[in-house]
Amino acid sequence: MNYEHCIRCTICVENCPVFRVNPDFPGPKQAGPDAQRFRSDRERAEDGWVLLCSQCKRCEMACPCGVEPAQIILKEQQRYGKEHPQTATHLLFANNYYLSALGSLTAPIANMIASSKTGKKFFRSMGISTYIPFPKFNFRTLRHEKKKISKGRKKVAFFYGCFINFYRPDIGRKIIRLLSSMNVDVVLPSQWCCGLPALGNGNMALAKYFAQKNAASLSNYIDAGYDVVYTCTSCGLCLLHDYPNILKIPQARKIAENTYDVHEYIIKLISDNYIKPDFREVKRKIAYHIPCHLRALEIGYPAAKLMSFIPGLECEILDDSCCGLSGSYGFKEKNEQTAIQLGNRAVALIKKTGMENIVADCGSCRMQLGGLSGMTTLDPAEILCESLGISDQK
Amino acid sequence: MSVIEYDVVIIGAGVAGLTAGTILAERGLKIALVTTGEPTACLSTGGIDVCSGRDNPLSAIRELPAQHPYHLVSDPIIKDSLENFLKVMTEMNLPYTGTIEKNRNILSSLGTYKTSCLVPLTMEATPQGTDESIHIITFKGLKDFYPGYIISRRKNTRFSEYDAGVSSTMSIASRFEEKAFFEKFLLWLEKLKFQKDKIAFPAVLGLESATEIVHTVSTLTGKPVFEIPTIPPSMPGRRLFNALKKYFRKKGGEIYWSWPVTGIEKSGRLIEAVATSSLGRPNSINARAFILATGSFVGGGLTATREAVIENIFHLPVHVPGPRETWFDNDYFSLNHGIGKAGIIVDASLRPADSPWKNIFVCGAILANTEILKNGCGHGLALATAHQAAQSCVEYLSHEL
Repeated sequence: MNYEHCIRCTICVENCPVFRVNPDFPGPKQAGPDAQRFRSDRERAEDGWVLLCSQCKRCEMACPCGVEPAQIILKEQQRYGKEHPQTATHLLFANNYYLSALGSLTAPIANMIASSKTGKKFFRSMGISTYIPFPKFNFRTLRHEKKKISKGRKKVAFFYGCFINFYRPDIGRKIIRLLSSMNVDVVLPSQWCCGLPALGNGNMALAKYFAQKNAASLSNYIDAGYDVVYTCTSCGLCLLHDYPNILKIPQARKIAENTYDVHEYIIKLISDNYIKPDFREVKRKIAYHIPCHLRALEIGYPAAKLMSFIPGLECEILDDSCCGLSGSYGFKEKNEQTAIQLGNRAVALIKKTGMENIVADCGSCRMQLGGLSGMTTLDPAEILCESLGISDQK
Repeated sequence: MSVIEYDVVIIGAGVAGLTAGTILAERGLKIALVTTGEPTACLSTGGIDVCSGRDNPLSAIRELPAQHPYHLVSDPIIKDSLENFLKVMTEMNLPYTGTIEKNRNILSSLGTYKTSCLVPLTMEATPQGTDESIHIITFKGLKDFYPGYIISRRKNTRFSEYDAGVSSTMSIASRFEEKAFFEKFLLWLEKLKFQKDKIAFPAVLGLESATEIVHTVSTLTGKPVFEIPTIPPSMPGRRLFNALKKYFRKKGGEIYWSWPVTGIEKSGRLIEAVATSSLGRPNSINARAFILATGSFVGGGLTATREAVIENIFHLPVHVPGPRETWFDNDYFSLNHGIGKAGIIVDASLRPADSPWKNIFVCGAILANTEILKNGCGHGLALATAHQAAQSCVEYLSHEL
C-alpha cells in the first residue's frame, strides 16, 4: 500500500515510541505518508529528523489501512544518508560487524577498554552513549563451533546473527543443542551481518553488500534442501522483509519462503508430528517482552506458544512497549534520552507485573531491559532448554 | 499435539471482536484473534453509546426500525453485556459509570454535547447542563484543542494554560505518568483560583492511570474534575482498547497482529481456515468457527467500489440500501446517508443470511441497517451483538461434536 492510502487517523502516531518522548520527531504520520507527498528525487533530502525514527515498525503493525510509514521513512533515511556526509558514529555502527569481529579477536583487551572510565569517556566524545554497559565480546565465537550432525532427516542452516556470535555464543550453542535434540541437523553457513545496522544508519550500499553475500550463502543451502532458521528477530525481519523490498536481492523470495524463526520452526516440527517434546516443569515467573521486530514478522508469538506448554511456568506477555534501544539507535548520544525514557517505561510496566525474570527473543532488548532494571534476562530458547533438560555443558 | 488449531478465530480487534473473544475464552475454548491493525475503537471517545434517541436507551432501542440488528438481541442479553462490560473495566482499572436506563452527556472539544450511556469515570463529573461554571486547563501548543470553541458556546467558562514542554496528546499523557512532572504540575495548579468551578481537562491525563490522576487532582483542589475527549489521537479510546485487549489475553486469548486475512480454506458448508500472506510464505490458522467483527468502511470490513459494496474476508453478500444515487444525502453532515445501512444481513443466530456458511457469526459495525451515526449506537451495539454471536457460536460448537 502506498502513502495515498493513509486516512490520517493517527493510530500510528499513538503507537510511535519515539514520538512520545522526543518532540523533535514529528511522528510516523508526518515523517512518513504526509511528508512523502512533498519529497522529490530531484531535490536534496533535507529532513534530517527522519534519522530519529528507530525503525521499530510499530506504526506498520498498527495501521488499519496497510500503509507502511516505517518503510517510507527507511527509504528516506537511505536517501538522506547518501546525500549527506556520514558522521563517525553512523559509520561505526553501520560497520558494527567488522567492529565486533575485531572486538572478539581481542576480547579481553576490548572488554577492558570498553568498560574502563577512559574508554567510556572516549565513546562519549564520539557521540556514543554509555548509560548501559556494552555487551561483552566473547573470544570463542559461534563461528568456530564444530558442526553437529545427527542422523536426522530435517536439515537446518542456522543464521545466528552478530549478537549471538560475538556476545552470547552460549545461547547459540544451546539453540544448536535444542534443535539437535529434536532430530534436526544443524549447520552453520558462512554468514555476515544481516545488513540491518547498515540500513538503520543510512548506509544502503554497505547493507546491500552484506545482503548479497548472505543471500548467496543461504541460497546454496536452501538448494541443498536446508531450511534457514534465525533466532534474532531483527536479523529475521531484515532477511524476510528488507531483502526483497528495499534491498532488492534476487534470491530474496526463495530465502523468505524457506526461513523460519527458531520457535516457529519447532512449532512446525510439532505440527508435522516430527517430534513430540516432553515439556517438564519450569518454576519461573517470567515477563515476556515481545521485541518490536518479532511483532513485525507477522508470525504471531511462537515462543509464547511453546512456553505455554511448559507446566509451572508463569508467563505474562508485554507487547505494548518498545525497549527503546533498537540496536545501535539508543547508543547514539542524540537518542540517549529517548532510549532511556522508553526503557524505563518498559521496565516500570514489567515490574508492575511482579514477575521475576525478563524473557525476550532479541539480544538488544535484553541488554537494555536487563541494564536498566537489574533483573535477570533470558532468551526463550533458554527456557525451552531448561524444560527439556538440555544442559549447559559444551 | 495440535498447535495451530483453534476452536474459534475472531477477525477484528475492535470492541465487538475482543468482547466476543473474551466470552468464548472464558468458556475454556481456544481462541485466536487476527487483525490487520488497530481498531477504530482507538479513535473513539471511549464512551459506550447504546442508543441516543431517547433519555432511556432501552426505550430508544425499542423504537428503532424493525430491521435494526439490536432487535436480534434480547433485552436481558443487552443488559448483561453492559453490566459485564462495567465489571470488566473495573477489574482492568479503568472503571466506567452509568446505567442502561439513562443516557448522559459528555462535553466535546467544540463545546457541544454528545449523548453516551456508559462513560469512563474520568468523564463522570461532566456538567449535564449549561449552567455550571467550568474552568478548563489546557496545554501550551496542544493542537486540536482550543478552549475558545467551548467558551464561545458556553457561559461561565474560562481557561488557564500550562506549559508541559511537549505539545501532543500522546506525549502529554505520558508525561502525566512521570512522578516529577505530575508533582510540578500540581504545584502550578494549586496556585490557580477556582470558584464554584468544575475543572475540565482535554483527555490527556495519562494512559495507564487516568482514573488515579483525575482522583488526585480532584482531591487536591476539592473540585470535581472531568476530561473532555479530543479528536484523534484519543486517549480514552486507546485506554478502552488497551483494557479490552489485556482482558482478552488474561482469559487466554491469543492475538495475531498485522495479520490481514487474504484467503480462506473451505470444505462444503464450512470455513476451515483463514490465511494471510505473511512475509515469505502463506500462513493459515484453522478453527471450527469464525467470528467476523471487521467493522464497517473505516474499520476495513467493507469496501465500496463504484457499483457495489464488498465484504473483504469471506465475500459475503452485502446489503446496500439501493442504487448508488441513494447512498449519499446532499448534506455532507447529514445523519441520513443511505450508505449507513450497508452491511451484512444476518439471521437470528447472527449467521450471514443468503450464504452457505454454517460456522461464521457476525457482530459489530459490519452488520446491516445499523445507521450507527444516526442512532448513536456504536460500542453498545458491538457489545450486545458480540455477546449474542458468542452465544450462538457456543451453541453451534456444542452441537457440532
